[in-house]
Amino acid sequence: MAALLTATAAAAGYEAVPVTAESTTEEHGWIRKAQTADSAAFGSLYRMHVDRVYGLCLRMTGNVAEAEDCTQDAFIQAWSKLNNFRGESAFSTWLHRVAVNTVLGRMRKSRREQDRIRAVSDVLPAPETIGDSGGLRDLEQAIDELPSGARHVFVLHAVYGYSHDETSDMLGIAAGTSKAQLHRARRLLAQQLKTECA
Amino acid sequence: MNETDNNNFDDELMAAAAELATEVTPDRDLWPGIEQALPHPGRPARTVWNSTWAQAAAVLLLVGGSSGVTYLAITEDLSPLPPVAGGPTLVFEPVSGSFGSMYNLGPDYQDARRSLAAKVDEELGRLTAEERNEVQKNIDVIRAAIEEINKALAAEPDNALLQKLLLSTYRDELGLMMRVDKITSAAMRRGDI
Repeated sequence: MAALLTATAAAAGYEAVPVTAESTTEEHGWIRKAQTADSAAFGSLYRMHVDRVYGLCLRMTGNVAEAEDCTQDAFIQAWSKLNNFRGESAFSTWLHRVAVNTVLGRMRKSRREQDRIRAVSDVLPAPETIGDSGGLRDLEQAIDELPSGARHVFVLHAVYGYSHDETSDMLGIAAGTSKAQLHRARRLLAQQLKTECA
Repeated sequence: MNETDNNNFDDELMAAAAELATEVTPDRDLWPGIEQALPHPGRPARTVWNSTWAQAAAVLLLVGGSSGVTYLAITEDLSPLPPVAGGPTLVFEPVSGSFGSMYNLGPDYQDARRSLAAKVDEELGRLTAEERNEVQKNIDVIRAAIEEINKALAAEPDNALLQKLLLSTYRDELGLMMRVDKITSAAMRRGDI
Protein backbone atom coordinates (compact mmCIF):
# COMPACT_ATOMS: atom_id res chain seq x y z
CA MET A 1 0.00 0.00 0.00
CA ALA A 2 2.83 2.34 0.87
CA ALA A 3 4.33 1.72 -2.51
CA LEU A 4 1.01 2.36 -4.13
CA LEU A 5 0.64 5.74 -2.48
CA THR A 6 4.23 6.70 -3.12
CA ALA A 7 3.69 5.90 -6.76
CA THR A 8 0.54 7.99 -6.83
CA ALA A 9 2.36 10.93 -5.35
CA ALA A 10 5.02 10.69 -7.99
CA ALA A 11 2.54 10.08 -10.71
CA ALA A 12 0.77 13.40 -10.57
CA GLY A 13 1.14 14.51 -14.11
CA TYR A 14 -0.18 17.99 -13.53
CA GLU A 15 1.95 20.96 -12.87
CA ALA A 16 0.57 24.18 -11.55
CA VAL A 17 1.39 27.22 -13.63
CA PRO A 18 4.16 28.95 -11.71
CA VAL A 19 3.18 32.34 -10.40
CA THR A 20 5.95 34.72 -11.30
CA ALA A 21 6.37 38.34 -10.28
CA GLU A 22 5.53 39.25 -13.85
CA SER A 23 2.28 37.29 -13.91
CA THR A 24 1.31 38.73 -10.54
CA THR A 25 1.82 42.27 -11.80
CA GLU A 26 -0.19 41.42 -14.88
CA GLU A 27 -2.91 39.96 -12.68
CA HIS A 28 -3.07 43.12 -10.56
CA GLY A 29 -3.54 45.14 -13.73
CA TRP A 30 -6.38 42.91 -14.85
CA ILE A 31 -8.02 43.10 -11.45
CA ARG A 32 -7.88 46.90 -11.46
CA LYS A 33 -9.33 47.04 -14.96
CA ALA A 34 -12.00 44.45 -14.18
CA GLN A 35 -13.00 46.50 -11.16
CA THR A 36 -13.85 49.28 -13.59
CA ALA A 37 -16.18 46.93 -15.48
CA ASP A 38 -13.63 45.89 -18.11
CA SER A 39 -14.96 42.48 -19.06
CA ALA A 40 -11.97 41.78 -21.32
CA ALA A 41 -9.66 42.11 -18.32
CA PHE A 42 -11.97 39.87 -16.36
CA GLY A 43 -11.74 37.40 -19.24
CA SER A 44 -7.98 37.35 -18.74
CA LEU A 45 -8.47 36.65 -15.04
CA TYR A 46 -10.88 33.90 -15.99
CA ARG A 47 -8.33 32.27 -18.27
CA MET A 48 -5.68 32.54 -15.60
CA HIS A 49 -7.77 30.90 -12.88
CA VAL A 50 -10.41 28.78 -14.54
CA ASP A 51 -8.54 25.49 -14.31
CA ARG A 52 -8.01 25.87 -10.60
CA VAL A 53 -11.56 27.00 -9.90
CA TYR A 54 -12.99 24.24 -12.07
CA GLY A 55 -10.71 21.67 -10.41
CA LEU A 56 -11.98 22.76 -7.01
CA CYS A 57 -15.62 22.70 -8.12
CA LEU A 58 -15.14 19.30 -9.71
CA ARG A 59 -13.58 17.80 -6.61
CA MET A 60 -16.16 19.34 -4.32
CA THR A 61 -19.21 18.40 -6.36
CA GLY A 62 -18.02 15.19 -7.97
CA ASN A 63 -20.18 16.03 -10.97
CA VAL A 64 -18.95 17.44 -14.26
CA ALA A 65 -22.11 19.30 -15.23
CA GLU A 66 -22.49 20.71 -11.74
CA ALA A 67 -18.82 21.70 -11.65
CA GLU A 68 -19.24 23.58 -14.93
CA ASP A 69 -22.29 25.41 -13.59
CA CYS A 70 -20.52 26.17 -10.32
CA THR A 71 -17.49 27.51 -12.16
CA GLN A 72 -19.64 29.81 -14.25
CA ASP A 73 -21.61 30.95 -11.22
CA ALA A 74 -18.43 31.50 -9.25
CA PHE A 75 -16.98 33.80 -11.90
CA ILE A 76 -20.26 35.67 -12.24
CA GLN A 77 -20.34 36.10 -8.47
CA ALA A 78 -16.71 37.17 -8.50
CA TRP A 79 -17.47 39.81 -11.11
CA SER A 80 -20.33 41.18 -9.02
CA LYS A 81 -18.22 41.26 -5.86
CA LEU A 82 -15.00 42.34 -7.48
CA ASN A 83 -15.07 45.76 -5.89
CA ASN A 84 -15.01 44.05 -2.48
CA PHE A 85 -11.62 42.56 -3.28
CA ARG A 86 -9.08 44.75 -1.52
CA GLY A 87 -6.01 42.65 -2.13
CA GLU A 88 -5.76 41.55 1.50
CA SER A 89 -5.35 37.97 0.30
CA ALA A 90 -4.18 36.52 -2.98
CA PHE A 91 -6.78 36.89 -5.71
CA SER A 92 -6.76 33.11 -6.20
CA THR A 93 -7.62 32.59 -2.52
CA TRP A 94 -10.39 35.15 -2.70
CA LEU A 95 -11.70 33.49 -5.86
CA HIS A 96 -11.55 30.10 -4.15
CA ARG A 97 -13.69 31.40 -1.34
CA VAL A 98 -16.22 32.65 -3.84
CA ALA A 99 -16.15 29.26 -5.58
CA VAL A 100 -16.57 27.32 -2.33
CA ASN A 101 -19.50 29.54 -1.34
CA THR A 102 -21.02 29.00 -4.74
CA VAL A 103 -20.68 25.23 -4.49
CA LEU A 104 -22.15 25.16 -0.99
CA GLY A 105 -24.96 27.49 -1.98
CA ARG A 106 -25.88 25.38 -4.96
CA MET A 107 -25.66 22.17 -2.97
CA ARG A 108 -27.97 23.58 -0.38
CA LYS A 109 -30.46 24.45 -3.07
CA SER A 110 -30.47 21.13 -4.80
CA ARG A 111 -29.70 17.55 -4.19
CA ARG A 112 -27.91 17.18 -7.44
CA GLU A 113 -24.90 15.89 -5.61
CA GLN A 114 -26.55 12.52 -5.50
CA ASP A 115 -27.22 12.61 -9.18
CA ARG A 116 -23.77 11.98 -10.41
CA ILE A 117 -23.95 11.66 -14.12
CA ARG A 118 -20.27 11.32 -14.65
CA ALA A 119 -17.81 10.46 -11.95
CA VAL A 120 -14.80 12.70 -11.50
CA SER A 121 -12.54 9.76 -12.21
CA ASP A 122 -14.03 9.51 -15.70
CA VAL A 123 -12.81 12.91 -16.74
CA LEU A 124 -9.61 13.49 -14.82
CA PRO A 125 -6.55 12.65 -16.90
CA ALA A 126 -5.02 9.26 -16.24
CA PRO A 127 -1.69 9.02 -14.44
CA GLU A 128 1.15 9.14 -16.91
CA THR A 129 3.93 7.37 -15.07
CA ILE A 130 4.78 4.04 -16.60
CA GLY A 131 4.30 1.23 -14.17
CA ASP A 132 1.94 3.19 -12.00
CA SER A 133 -0.40 0.81 -10.30
CA GLY A 134 -3.39 3.06 -10.76
CA GLY A 135 -3.15 4.27 -7.19
CA LEU A 136 -3.76 7.89 -8.08
CA ARG A 137 -6.95 7.02 -9.85
CA ASP A 138 -7.95 4.84 -6.90
CA LEU A 139 -7.38 7.77 -4.60
CA GLU A 140 -9.34 10.12 -6.89
CA GLN A 141 -12.22 7.70 -6.91
CA ALA A 142 -12.06 7.10 -3.19
CA ILE A 143 -12.18 10.86 -2.53
CA ASP A 144 -15.08 11.16 -4.92
CA GLU A 145 -16.99 8.58 -2.93
CA LEU A 146 -16.53 10.28 0.42
CA PRO A 147 -19.58 11.82 2.09
CA SER A 148 -19.81 15.49 1.14
CA GLY A 149 -18.77 16.94 4.52
CA ALA A 150 -15.65 14.79 4.73
CA ARG A 151 -14.90 15.29 1.04
CA HIS A 152 -15.07 19.08 1.21
CA VAL A 153 -12.68 19.22 4.15
CA PHE A 154 -10.31 16.68 2.64
CA VAL A 155 -10.24 18.47 -0.73
CA LEU A 156 -9.62 21.91 0.76
CA HIS A 157 -7.14 20.79 3.42
CA ALA A 158 -5.32 17.84 1.92
CA VAL A 159 -5.49 18.59 -1.79
CA TYR A 160 -5.50 22.40 -1.87
CA GLY A 161 -3.40 22.86 1.25
CA TYR A 162 -5.63 25.20 3.22
CA SER A 163 -5.19 25.21 7.00
CA HIS A 164 -8.00 24.02 9.23
CA ASP A 165 -8.78 27.63 10.10
CA GLU A 166 -9.04 28.60 6.44
CA THR A 167 -10.99 25.45 5.58
CA SER A 168 -13.47 25.91 8.40
CA ASP A 169 -13.83 29.58 7.53
CA MET A 170 -14.58 28.76 3.89
CA LEU A 171 -17.04 26.04 4.76
CA GLY A 172 -18.67 27.94 7.61
CA ILE A 173 -17.92 25.26 10.18
CA ALA A 174 -15.87 25.17 13.38
CA ALA A 175 -12.16 24.36 13.13
CA GLY A 176 -12.80 21.36 15.38
CA THR A 177 -15.43 20.08 12.95
CA SER A 178 -12.95 20.47 10.12
CA LYS A 179 -10.43 18.34 12.01
CA ALA A 180 -13.06 15.75 12.82
CA GLN A 181 -14.16 15.59 9.18
CA LEU A 182 -10.57 15.21 8.05
CA HIS A 183 -10.08 12.35 10.49
CA ARG A 184 -13.26 10.76 9.20
CA ALA A 185 -12.15 11.21 5.61
CA ARG A 186 -8.74 9.63 6.29
CA ARG A 187 -10.36 6.69 8.04
CA LEU A 188 -12.82 6.12 5.20
CA LEU A 189 -10.12 6.50 2.56
CA ALA A 190 -7.87 4.10 4.42
CA GLN A 191 -10.65 1.53 4.62
CA GLN A 192 -11.43 1.87 0.96
CA LEU A 193 -7.89 1.89 -0.34
CA LYS A 194 -6.81 -0.99 1.88
CA THR A 195 -9.78 -3.02 0.72
CA GLU A 196 -8.92 -2.36 -2.90
CA CYS A 197 -5.27 -3.12 -2.27
CA ALA A 198 -6.00 -6.39 -0.52
CA MET B 1 -1.41 -3.38 10.91
CA ASN B 2 0.09 -1.63 13.96
CA GLU B 3 0.01 2.03 14.93
CA THR B 4 3.27 2.82 13.15
CA ASP B 5 1.90 1.35 9.95
CA ASN B 6 -1.24 3.42 10.37
CA ASN B 7 0.76 6.60 10.85
CA ASN B 8 2.86 5.81 7.81
CA PHE B 9 -0.25 5.18 5.80
CA ASP B 10 -1.76 8.47 6.92
CA ASP B 11 1.39 10.36 6.02
CA GLU B 12 1.52 8.74 2.61
CA LEU B 13 -2.16 9.36 2.06
CA MET B 14 -1.75 13.05 2.77
CA ALA B 15 1.36 13.23 0.61
CA ALA B 16 -0.48 11.55 -2.24
CA ALA B 17 -3.47 13.87 -1.80
CA ALA B 18 -1.20 16.90 -1.92
CA GLU B 19 0.10 15.68 -5.25
CA LEU B 20 -3.33 15.37 -6.83
CA ALA B 21 -4.18 17.75 -9.62
CA THR B 22 -5.54 21.03 -8.35
CA GLU B 23 -6.09 22.32 -11.86
CA VAL B 24 -8.40 20.66 -14.32
CA THR B 25 -9.32 22.11 -17.69
CA PRO B 26 -13.07 22.05 -18.35
CA ASP B 27 -14.20 19.99 -21.33
CA ARG B 28 -15.83 23.04 -22.86
CA ASP B 29 -15.19 26.77 -22.91
CA LEU B 30 -17.22 28.25 -20.07
CA TRP B 31 -16.34 31.86 -20.80
CA PRO B 32 -19.08 32.68 -23.37
CA GLY B 33 -21.77 31.73 -20.86
CA ILE B 34 -20.09 33.77 -18.15
CA GLU B 35 -19.56 36.80 -20.36
CA GLN B 36 -23.18 36.78 -21.43
CA ALA B 37 -24.39 36.66 -17.85
CA LEU B 38 -22.06 39.32 -16.45
CA PRO B 39 -24.01 42.07 -14.76
CA HIS B 40 -21.82 45.12 -15.24
CA PRO B 41 -20.87 46.77 -11.94
CA GLY B 42 -21.78 50.14 -13.38
CA ARG B 43 -25.20 48.90 -14.30
CA PRO B 44 -26.84 47.55 -11.17
CA ALA B 45 -27.77 50.98 -9.86
CA ARG B 46 -29.28 51.81 -13.23
CA THR B 47 -31.12 48.52 -13.25
CA VAL B 48 -32.52 49.15 -9.81
CA TRP B 49 -33.49 52.67 -10.88
CA ASN B 50 -35.26 51.31 -13.92
CA SER B 51 -36.97 48.60 -11.93
CA THR B 52 -38.12 51.19 -9.45
CA TRP B 53 -39.47 53.30 -12.28
CA ALA B 54 -41.18 50.29 -13.77
CA GLN B 55 -42.81 49.54 -10.44
CA ALA B 56 -43.83 53.16 -10.03
CA ALA B 57 -45.17 53.15 -13.56
CA ALA B 58 -47.14 50.02 -12.85
CA VAL B 59 -48.70 51.65 -9.80
CA LEU B 60 -49.47 54.79 -11.79
CA LEU B 61 -50.94 52.66 -14.51
CA LEU B 62 -53.13 50.81 -12.09
CA VAL B 63 -54.34 53.96 -10.36
CA GLY B 64 -54.58 56.03 -13.53
CA GLY B 65 -56.16 53.33 -15.65
CA SER B 66 -58.74 52.39 -13.09
CA SER B 67 -59.59 56.00 -12.22
CA GLY B 68 -60.02 56.76 -15.92
CA VAL B 69 -62.35 53.87 -16.45
CA THR B 70 -64.21 54.69 -13.24
CA TYR B 71 -64.54 58.32 -14.28
CA LEU B 72 -65.95 57.34 -17.63
CA ALA B 73 -68.27 54.80 -16.10
CA ILE B 74 -69.81 57.26 -13.65
CA THR B 75 -70.11 60.15 -16.05
CA GLU B 76 -71.84 58.16 -18.76
CA ASP B 77 -74.69 55.71 -18.71
CA LEU B 78 -73.09 52.88 -20.56
CA SER B 79 -74.34 49.68 -21.95
CA PRO B 80 -71.98 46.76 -21.20
CA LEU B 81 -68.74 47.27 -23.05
CA PRO B 82 -67.29 44.63 -25.29
CA PRO B 83 -64.44 42.71 -23.71
CA VAL B 84 -60.98 44.04 -24.45
CA ALA B 85 -59.95 40.62 -25.62
CA GLY B 86 -62.14 41.23 -28.63
CA GLY B 87 -59.53 43.64 -29.99
CA PRO B 88 -56.62 42.72 -32.22
CA THR B 89 -54.31 40.05 -30.91
CA LEU B 90 -51.11 41.41 -29.41
CA VAL B 91 -48.04 39.75 -30.79
CA PHE B 92 -44.48 40.32 -29.67
CA GLU B 93 -42.09 40.30 -32.52
CA PRO B 94 -38.40 40.19 -31.71
CA VAL B 95 -36.50 42.75 -33.72
CA SER B 96 -32.80 42.48 -34.26
CA GLY B 97 -30.64 45.12 -32.66
CA SER B 98 -30.56 46.53 -29.18
CA PHE B 99 -33.25 45.61 -26.75
CA GLY B 100 -34.70 49.05 -26.20
CA SER B 101 -37.21 48.36 -28.90
CA MET B 102 -36.64 44.66 -29.16
CA TYR B 103 -40.22 43.94 -28.37
CA ASN B 104 -42.50 45.56 -30.86
CA LEU B 105 -46.12 44.89 -31.41
CA GLY B 106 -47.28 43.02 -34.47
CA PRO B 107 -48.34 44.97 -37.58
CA ASP B 108 -52.03 44.15 -37.08
CA TYR B 109 -51.93 45.62 -33.63
CA GLN B 110 -49.99 48.66 -34.79
CA ASP B 111 -52.59 49.35 -37.51
CA ALA B 112 -55.51 48.92 -35.14
CA ARG B 113 -53.82 51.06 -32.51
CA ARG B 114 -53.05 53.83 -35.00
CA SER B 115 -56.57 53.98 -36.40
CA LEU B 116 -58.15 53.73 -32.96
CA ALA B 117 -55.87 56.46 -31.61
CA ALA B 118 -56.80 58.72 -34.52
CA LYS B 119 -60.48 57.99 -33.95
CA VAL B 120 -60.14 58.64 -30.23
CA ASP B 121 -58.37 61.95 -30.90
CA GLU B 122 -61.20 62.91 -33.19
CA GLU B 123 -63.94 61.78 -30.85
CA LEU B 124 -62.41 63.34 -27.78
CA GLY B 125 -63.68 66.55 -29.31
CA ARG B 126 -67.21 65.41 -28.57
CA LEU B 127 -66.52 65.28 -24.84
CA THR B 128 -66.59 68.26 -22.54
CA ALA B 129 -63.24 69.90 -21.79
CA GLU B 130 -63.21 68.37 -18.31
CA GLU B 131 -63.94 64.89 -19.60
CA ARG B 132 -61.42 65.28 -22.40
CA ASN B 133 -58.69 66.34 -20.00
CA GLU B 134 -59.44 63.46 -17.69
CA VAL B 135 -59.34 60.88 -20.50
CA GLN B 136 -56.21 62.39 -22.01
CA LYS B 137 -54.54 62.37 -18.62
CA ASN B 138 -55.21 58.65 -18.24
CA ILE B 139 -54.01 57.84 -21.72
CA ASP B 140 -50.84 59.81 -20.98
CA VAL B 141 -50.31 57.85 -17.77
CA ILE B 142 -50.56 54.57 -19.64
CA ARG B 143 -48.20 55.73 -22.38
CA ALA B 144 -45.70 57.00 -19.83
CA ALA B 145 -45.90 53.60 -18.15
CA ILE B 146 -45.23 51.88 -21.49
CA GLU B 147 -42.20 54.06 -22.01
CA GLU B 148 -40.84 53.38 -18.53
CA ILE B 149 -41.39 49.66 -18.80
CA ASN B 150 -39.58 49.67 -22.14
CA LYS B 151 -36.67 51.49 -20.51
CA ALA B 152 -36.59 48.97 -17.68
CA LEU B 153 -36.69 46.15 -20.22
CA ALA B 154 -33.69 47.63 -21.98
CA ALA B 155 -31.72 47.04 -18.79
CA GLU B 156 -33.32 43.69 -18.02
CA PRO B 157 -34.28 42.18 -21.35
CA ASP B 158 -35.01 38.75 -19.92
CA ASN B 159 -37.26 39.95 -17.14
CA ALA B 160 -40.40 37.96 -17.82
CA LEU B 161 -42.40 40.01 -15.35
CA LEU B 162 -41.60 43.24 -17.17
CA GLN B 163 -42.42 41.64 -20.51
CA LYS B 164 -45.75 40.53 -19.13
CA LEU B 165 -46.36 43.97 -17.65
CA LEU B 166 -45.59 45.61 -20.98
CA LEU B 167 -47.97 43.36 -22.83
CA SER B 168 -50.66 43.96 -20.25
CA THR B 169 -50.09 47.73 -20.41
CA TYR B 170 -50.44 47.77 -24.17
CA ARG B 171 -53.63 45.81 -23.76
CA ASP B 172 -54.88 48.33 -21.18
CA GLU B 173 -54.11 51.20 -23.51
CA LEU B 174 -56.06 49.54 -26.26
CA GLY B 175 -58.91 48.77 -23.86
CA LEU B 176 -59.10 52.37 -22.70
CA MET B 177 -59.14 53.70 -26.23
CA MET B 178 -61.89 51.25 -27.18
CA ARG B 179 -63.92 52.33 -24.17
CA VAL B 180 -63.53 56.00 -25.12
CA ASP B 181 -64.64 55.14 -28.63
CA LYS B 182 -67.70 53.34 -27.28
CA ILE B 183 -68.56 56.16 -24.89
CA THR B 184 -68.36 58.85 -27.51
CA SER B 185 -70.37 56.72 -29.92
CA ALA B 186 -73.04 56.16 -27.25
CA ALA B 187 -73.06 59.86 -26.38
CA MET B 188 -73.48 60.72 -30.01
CA ARG B 189 -76.38 58.29 -30.40
CA ARG B 190 -78.14 59.74 -27.37
CA GLY B 191 -77.53 63.24 -28.70
CA ASP B 192 -78.96 62.24 -32.05
CA ILE B 193 -82.10 60.95 -30.40
